[in-house]
Parts: sequence; structure tokens; C-alpha cells
Amino acid sequence: MAELLDFFQLALVKATPLIFAALAGVICERSGILNIALEGGLTVGAFTGAAVSFETGNPLLGLIAGMLAGALLCGLLGVAATRFGVDQIVAGIGLNMLAAGATAFAVVVLFGAPGATPEVHALGSAGETALIAVAVVAALALQLGFDRTPWGLRLRACGENPQAVLSAGLDPRRIRVLATLAGGAIAGLGGVFLSLGELDLYSDGMTAGRGFIALAAVIFGRWTPLGAAGAALAFGALSALQFVLQRSGVPSELMQALPYLAALAALTGIVGKARAPAADGVSL
Amino acid sequence: MSRRNAAIFAAVLLAIAAGAMALAGANPLAGFAALLRGALGGERQLSETLVQTTALLFPSLAVAFAFRAGLFNIGAEGQLIVGGLFAGLAGAALVAPGWIAIPVILLAGAAGGAFWGGIAGALRARFGGNEVIATLMLNIVAALLANYLVVGPFHAPAATGPETAELPVSSWLPVLIPGTRLTISLLLALALAGALSFMFARTVFGYALQAAGEAPQAAARAGIDLRRTALVALTLSGAIAGFGGATLVAGVLHRFNVALSPGYGFIAIAVALVGGLDPLWIVLAAFAFGILQSGSLTMQALAHVPKDVVGFVEGLAILGLSARRIANPREESA
Repeated sequence: MAELLDFFQLALVKATPLIFAALAGVICERSGILNIALEGGLTVGAFTGAAVSFETGNPLLGLIAGMLAGALLCGLLGVAATRFGVDQIVAGIGLNMLAAGATAFAVVVLFGAPGATPEVHALGSAGETALIAVAVVAALALQLGFDRTPWGLRLRACGENPQAVLSAGLDPRRIRVLATLAGGAIAGLGGVFLSLGELDLYSDGMTAGRGFIALAAVIFGRWTPLGAAGAALAFGALSALQFVLQRSGVPSELMQALPYLAALAALTGIVGKARAPAADGVSL
Repeated sequence: MSRRNAAIFAAVLLAIAAGAMALAGANPLAGFAALLRGALGGERQLSETLVQTTALLFPSLAVAFAFRAGLFNIGAEGQLIVGGLFAGLAGAALVAPGWIAIPVILLAGAAGGAFWGGIAGALRARFGGNEVIATLMLNIVAALLANYLVVGPFHAPAATGPETAELPVSSWLPVLIPGTRLTISLLLALALAGALSFMFARTVFGYALQAAGEAPQAAARAGIDLRRTALVALTLSGAIAGFGGATLVAGVLHRFNVALSPGYGFIAIAVALVGGLDPLWIVLAAFAFGILQSGSLTMQALAHVPKDVVGFVEGLAILGLSARRIANPREESA
């Protein structure tokens, strides 16, 4: 029984950054921005959180700074896609490389040695638990917001038919930029969870492709907040299961590959038709 | 991008790089000097730069091939890895004279890459699945698959790292300049660039691919099968990247190692865009990025500029170049 509880706890810890990143992905994609830069959002969030906590000794300031960094990075994608008509995929790849390069560079410049920051003041186990709760509540709140509020309707309309939004007298570009800012902040929070919640430092590559798992979760969850969060939770449980099955002979790589394979399966539509928002990835 | 804008863009990137070097406490001029010295300062340095150029050229041509057909292959990295894996497994198992073994190894690599690219192509052709997501996911699955096979069943008993057994010396690609790692793979890459340039300019097949990319509706009305084009383009694109992986295995490492590629497949996207998707300009762009790759370690050692500044600037370059429209929305079912 205690083991089962341990497992659930581990699954929640592993799922939380995925839930944040997946929710960020849903917000962006439903507004019409296919955000490949979620990985970069996690990276800059994790790094900035740790760096600011190191400099100020206050992990809460780190958390806020991490969210701002994520918002800045993804907001850049939003502005580029709406004002400069860039290709969102290419820009997203560029932002991921930029985020990885800039953080690795900053680690060396700020802390004198490559690879990782020193240990910093983290949020502690209470903070970690609080963030897990925030992730769950955020998923519920977003689903309600999507379904029941005027801004949810506008966001969804923006991803399906931006012309209609324009006809209704609203600026779809503005909505998309706001969506990437909000999504980026949430992705940044996912990064902060990694560096200041689960651990107490930032190290290069610590996001380990979670931004891409989150993209898979978005597809598997059919572009709804609760669906994506549910998929992220399942992927988190898979990741926790790896630790349990370590000595059972099941290759850990297979377990790690399952989220991606699930996303590929979702693309076939065999497991139920998954349809992206009509204007997802279409720059204005 | 006009020539003027391109010059402004390059100047901005250089200025940002210089700023980053200054931020790292280094003299930017010393940084650039060390970078160039490390990349072009002698026969050894230049040959190593050409090794990097070759390594980038194959996936860059692969990316451009798919882009020209209106498809986003951001999976060159995974296709390169699977190609290298196939080549490494074939090469370690095959005992034959070089003139048989080398072509077999290279073709095994192309087959591996074609298989991996073909998965995305089939998803696109059969189900209309987004190839961006598919190739992105397949990149990670490729890395995991390679890791599993090379740490597990195909791990070389004598090897310390995650790698396959070494290829017999007769299966190594012939070197161009004795004492360097530069092999005939450079000539193969240049020949491929020439062939692709001819294909796009002069053949019906090349024309059909580009028509599907530039004006899918019109192409479909003209009788070009868009589904088939997607499958063929992504498969061939994967084959090119996989072939490149095989040249790294047979020419540089002489075995497959999970660290075969430091992200060549991603940098390739920047190379392809800088080269304007034109195979011949891509050769020049690959050389420029080859300089960055091979000079960055010298820059770090001599001028104390963290080598990561290169990745940062490459990311900025891609961001800046994303303003070029590549893929038009297409509707296979139409």
C-alpha cells in the first residue's frame, strides 16, 4: 500500500512539468500558434528560476522570473508569427536552439563552470506539493475558461477561423500574442518546477525533451486542457513506472518512447479522430 | 531576402555574437580570430572544417529536398541516426572487400534513413498526419532506439562507450588527405548537391515535387498525386540524411556511437534556409556553418568564449530566417 502511494506521488511529480507544458501547448495551439518552442520555454524557465533564486536567495522571486522568461521566449514566437508572418515551425526550432545555447552560455558566464548552476534555495517539499496542486487546478480552470467564458470562445475562434474573429471586431493577432505570453508563462512555471521544485539547481539539458512529450500530450488529449493534462498525467505515470520496472527486464527506452509512439498513433486517427484547430500553425 | 537585407542580418548576428563574447569577458576580436584560426588556420584545421561541412551538407540537402516539396522534414536528425545505426550494424557484421562493403554500408544507411523518413511520409500520405509532429516524435524515438540497441543487444563487448563494434579497416571510407579525417564523403556530398540542383532545374520529377510544394491545388489539378509526392519526398529526404549518417560511421567514427551527431539534423535547418533551399548555395552555407562547428572549440580554449554562443547565434539565425515562407497549406484529400 505504501509502495502504491509512493508510486502515485512519483507519478504526480513526474507529470507536473508535463501538465504545465501541455497546458501551455493547448493555449497556444487553440489560438492558432503551433508552439514547438515549449521545450525552450521549459529551459529558460528552469534556468531563470534557479539563477534568480541564487542571486536573491528567494525562490519565489525565482518562480516569478522563470514565468516571465518563459513568457518572453514564447511571446517572441507570438509576435514573430503575427507581426512578421514567420513560419511558426522554423521560428520555434530557432527559439529552442536559442534557449539551449543562451542558458548553457549563461551558466558558464554567471557561475564560472559549464553544465550546471550551484545548489540554490528551492521551493521545498511544501512548494513542490503546492505547484502540483496548481497544475491540477490550472487544468480544470482552463477547461472551464475555454468552455464557459467569452475569452475562451475568442481564443478558440482565433484558432479555427481568425477571419471571423476579425469580422467580430476583435484583433486575432493580439489574442494570439496574449496566448503565447500566457502559455509561455505556464511553460516557464513547468521549468521552475524542475529546477526549484523537484530539484534545487539547473543543469543543461534537464528538460530532456519534456516540451516534445507535452506536444504529444496535446495531440493525445485532442487539444483540450483536461485531455492534455490527462495525457500528461499518463505519460508521467509511465515515467514513474520506469523506476518500478528498472529490474524487470523491460527496456527503459521502450517506456520512454511510449509517449512519442502514442502521439504517432494519434496522428493516424486510428485511436479516434484527432483534429487540430483549423488555423493551427497558420500565420496571419 | 534581398542582398542588402542579408548583409544587415549578418551584421546584426555578428554584433550579437560580439556582444555575447564581451559579456563572457572576452575580447570579441580575439574570439572571432580564434574561431577562424581553429577552423581555417592550417591543413589540419581546414580538413576538420570540411569534415563538419560534409556532415552538415547531407542533412541540409535532405531538409531542403523536403522543403522544396512543401514538406517540413524536421526529422533529419532522427533519419541520420537511424541511417548511421543501420550502417554501423551492417558494417560491423559484414566481412567483404571494401569495394563491396563500402557501397553496402552506405546503402544500408540510406535505407535506414528512408525507412525512418518513410514512416512520417506514410502517416502524411495515408492519414494526413502532420509531418512536423511526426518527424519531431521520430527524432526522439530514433535516439531511444539507438540507445537501446547499442547499450543492449549490439553493444560491442570490448567497447567502453555506447557503441557498436568497429568496422574492419577495409570498410573505412578512403581518406582524401592522408593524416586527416577528410574522406571521399565530401566528394559524394558535392556530387549529390549537383545532382539535386540538376533534378530541380531540369527533370519532370523535380518539377512535380516543387509544384506540389508551391501550388498544391494547381498541382493536384494538373494530375500530380499529392499523397504520393509526400510519401516519396519524405522517404527520399530521409534516405539522404541516412546516407549522411552512414558516411559519418564509415568515414569518421568507424563505428556507430549514440553521440554520432551533435545536432547536425537541426543545424541543417539553418543551413538549408541560409542557402535559400538551393543545393549549390547550401554547399557554401554548410561550409560557413562548418567553420562555426569546428572553430568553436578553439574559440573556447583560446579566447575563453563558451562554445555555446555558437548554438545561440545559430538559433537566432534560424529565427531571423523563419520569415521566409516555405510550406503552403495543402489539402491531400482535395
